[in-house]
Amino acid sequence: MLKTINDADLRRYFSLIILAFLVFGLLGVKFFQLQVAQHKKYKEKANINSIRIERLSAPRGSIFDRNGKTIVDNAPTYVLNVIPNQIDNLNSTFTIISNLLNIDTSVFNTNYRKNYRGYFSPVRIVKDLSLEQILLVEEHRLDIPGIEYDQIQERNYPGDINGAHFLGYVKEVDSRSIQNVDNPEQYRHGDLVGWQGLERVYEDKLKDKKGIEYKAVDAYGRTMGAFIQRDKIHPEPGEELRIAIDVDLQQYIENLLSGRRGCVIVGDPNTGEIISYVNSPTYPPDLFTGTTQPDTWNKILNDPDKPLLDRNAKGLYPPASTFKMIILAYLLENKLINPNRQIYCSGEYRYGNRTFGCWEETGHGGVNFDRSLIESCDVYFYQVIQDIPLKEWSKICSQFGFGSKTGIDLPSESRGVVPDKEYLDKLYGKRGWTSGVKLNLSIGQGETLVTPLQLFTYINLFYTHGKTYQPHFSLKTETNEVALPNISESTWRRLNRLLYRVVSDRKGTGKLADPKIDGLKVAGKTGTAENPHGEPHAWFIGFAEKDDQVRSFVVLLENAGHGGEEAAPITRQFLRFIYDSKLKEQADEVADLES
Amino acid sequence: MKLLTWSHNRNPFIILIPISILLIISFLALYSISVHQNIAFYKSAFFRQLVFLVIGIIAMIAMYSLPLRLYHKYSILIYAVAVVSILIPYFMNNPTGANRWIYFGTVGVQPSEYAKWISIILLARYLSDRKKRMDKLSSFFIPIAIIAFPALIVFGQPDLGTATIMMAPIIAILYWVNARQYHLFLIIAPIISIITAFHTISFTIWAIVLTIVIILSEKKLWNGVVVFFGNIFLGLLAPVLWNVLQPYQQKRILTLFNPELDPLGAAYQIIQSQTAIGSGGLFGKGWMQGTQTHLKFLPVQESDFILSVIGEEFGFFTVLLVFIMYAFIIYKMLQFAYITREKFTSIILVGVATIFLAQIFVNSAMTVGLIPVKGLPLPFLSAGGSFLVSSFMMIGMVLNFASHWSD
Repeated sequence: MLKTINDADLRRYFSLIILAFLVFGLLGVKFFQLQVAQHKKYKEKANINSIRIERLSAPRGSIFDRNGKTIVDNAPTYVLNVIPNQIDNLNSTFTIISNLLNIDTSVFNTNYRKNYRGYFSPVRIVKDLSLEQILLVEEHRLDIPGIEYDQIQERNYPGDINGAHFLGYVKEVDSRSIQNVDNPEQYRHGDLVGWQGLERVYEDKLKDKKGIEYKAVDAYGRTMGAFIQRDKIHPEPGEELRIAIDVDLQQYIENLLSGRRGCVIVGDPNTGEIISYVNSPTYPPDLFTGTTQPDTWNKILNDPDKPLLDRNAKGLYPPASTFKMIILAYLLENKLINPNRQIYCSGEYRYGNRTFGCWEETGHGGVNFDRSLIESCDVYFYQVIQDIPLKEWSKICSQFGFGSKTGIDLPSESRGVVPDKEYLDKLYGKRGWTSGVKLNLSIGQGETLVTPLQLFTYINLFYTHGKTYQPHFSLKTETNEVALPNISESTWRRLNRLLYRVVSDRKGTGKLADPKIDGLKVAGKTGTAENPHGEPHAWFIGFAEKDDQVRSFVVLLENAGHGGEEAAPITRQFLRFIYDSKLKEQADEVADLES
Repeated sequence: MKLLTWSHNRNPFIILIPISILLIISFLALYSISVHQNIAFYKSAFFRQLVFLVIGIIAMIAMYSLPLRLYHKYSILIYAVAVVSILIPYFMNNPTGANRWIYFGTVGVQPSEYAKWISIILLARYLSDRKKRMDKLSSFFIPIAIIAFPALIVFGQPDLGTATIMMAPIIAILYWVNARQYHLFLIIAPIISIITAFHTISFTIWAIVLTIVIILSEKKLWNGVVVFFGNIFLGLLAPVLWNVLQPYQQKRILTLFNPELDPLGAAYQIIQSQTAIGSGGLFGKGWMQGTQTHLKFLPVQESDFILSVIGEEFGFFTVLLVFIMYAFIIYKMLQFAYITREKFTSIILVGVATIFLAQIFVNSAMTVGLIPVKGLPLPFLSAGGSFLVSSFMMIGMVLNFASHWSD
């Protein structure tokens, strides 16, 4: 018993109980409002809060050659990622890794800036590391917290060919490159997109179908695992692409041109398929995907031989004597010439007060229609071109595809130049030129510029008598037939015969192109393109046939000299490779031994 | 007394039933939280809480067993010990900058949790020993001082939440000991004057209410005029004083009362908590299925925001059950306060009931965004050793004192 008895007031007791119940009533109402009345709103909010949609990738489609050999596939590569929030001092971390891997820190810094996506997202700083390098990093992982390695799929080139100019490359989409992507809405930061070459043209086919995974994320955006309530959509790998290239031939010709500047196209004139597409100098196809050191880059960019240039589709050259068939076709079609008429070649030709030389300075003597092509006599053409109006000449050149794109399945190609009156007026002014320019044009010199690819279509037209297709790499794609120059069958036949004689005739300019294989017939036309850069460019275009196997080709060697002396022998070498079965077997054996 | 018998089981142990139900809900929620925390089991909030539960029950039995007169006799001594212990953290090197904890090795004890009911014991002794009638305003001075002194120390720790809880019982206890309602009004009036002063319409309404109350209650005209103008003057002075402060000082004060201004984003916490509770619906997302909880959108979910976890995973009905259990406990405490024999124990029981009610209200209202964020736990639900043991000690006292009833 303490000092005072409890004398609590009943009214005050009830007041306090009511107060307490009011408090709980208020709380109950508020919870009811949130959990029942506004439940839907908050449920949606909770979902948005915690789901992150992640895109899943599957491998990009592989590229195979005409015989099913792999040209491009995908290979896993090790990469190093940095997790920004786990790094205290980025620079010291980069220095440590730099010393371990012997890679300059500038590579890390550049990639870090380029790939940074958020404080908690891994940032890739270097790729293409070997297992040994990863092991080295792992050994030192206590010194470099916040660094983790990962494996990604990358374009891989298992063959020995370069072929970078037509294969192209893929690129990771970033904020800058997305502006140049064809269907930007289909790509997200970090996706691979075909950026050049076949990778770009066949992007829709090669690219994978992205899948979707719903990931649960926590309040910091960290992934906590799959979000179970939504099903994952599995990604599908890209389709395979089979192309007409023959990697063995491609490799052979690449080696043949090694150390020289020029380009070669070999194809099937019946279909327009491209079987070899060689540019020289070239560069490895993984140049744009691999870890290219800055100095390597600068070397390639500043190389005066321009290895990055796709000479076949974008190099512009005077066609020189390869153009002569156009004029002969026109003369025959329009019955402007008696084929037996002889024109005397003294080695030079006077026109007005100017003198035009023939390549054969001592002269060809009497030259008729056939000999003009076989011996490529320039004087003959100086003479006959005068019967052809410039307008007509331009028109027939255009009909053979010059001055416009060939329609090849590459992202870009040059149109070249076929001069006409408007063009010359613009270039020299209305009175700045005379009909003398026609003489230069007649032998494929002067203002005319063509790409080797255009000459490929051009020579195919001769073999097929006007029925060839646009050049293409793809084996499956239906391509368009080339718009026909309106030329009669007899003209085609006659010119065709002449082209064979360019190689087989004792005085033929292209006789060095014949590998002398039983049953192999080779036709062609030489060209020697004068240019301001020094020695003339050497051309040889033509086709060869044995049994049912036909190959057409275009060979260009920059500043090499005469077509018949430089380009024709190269042709002989690869024709031997194509048609000499013994040689082929030997090559296969070597390949077997190597593998 | 007839009124009291209609429902009233006088057995005090009946309050252990709602407490047990709350503990079951608590451990289910803590287990759910522990599952995704990815730490060793013995380090999880669930396991720690189990350990503290055992300590708490032992402490409860001890408090229940202590003879009543010991509480009465040593009230001054334990009050002194409590005041010293809440001062100790000021002299310890606290890495967080908050002087709330006394560390014994790695185990921290929060003395303010105990100080809040210890000061009530002294207050109860003061009010019950003197047969003084609480009919003068001046007679409030010592009771308020007894409570406010430790509360101010805790406020400086700084722990506004606990300090608020410590102050809460004073009004209820003075009311309980038959203080004049007008006098209680006079205590609260200056606070309301200052708060409403920043809002013209509120201040006008408050001035009218003030006038009416004074006219009805104040017998002496002169006193009424002083009270009225004193409050109005205080209200008018507040904005002036406020503007004298430097912006950073203003911000510091505002952040103290309204942490939403904190750049770390208390508003963000409220939004996440509301989302968790709202998305729970009537029946909840299911045990261990709370996305907000498991994805750590909810801050301090095992203590301050445990009710959000329960709301998300178990839904409205369980939250309602929680409130009914709390209401029942507080109702029983008030009932015991009414029927207990001693004035001393009666006052303590009212104080304990008020502490529980204030604690529950502040925490629950915070989780749904009714009031600014205060770092306060929920009795028997939130993880927290000192708090759980302290809560059990209060329950031990309640069981002890409720066993001495008058007929």
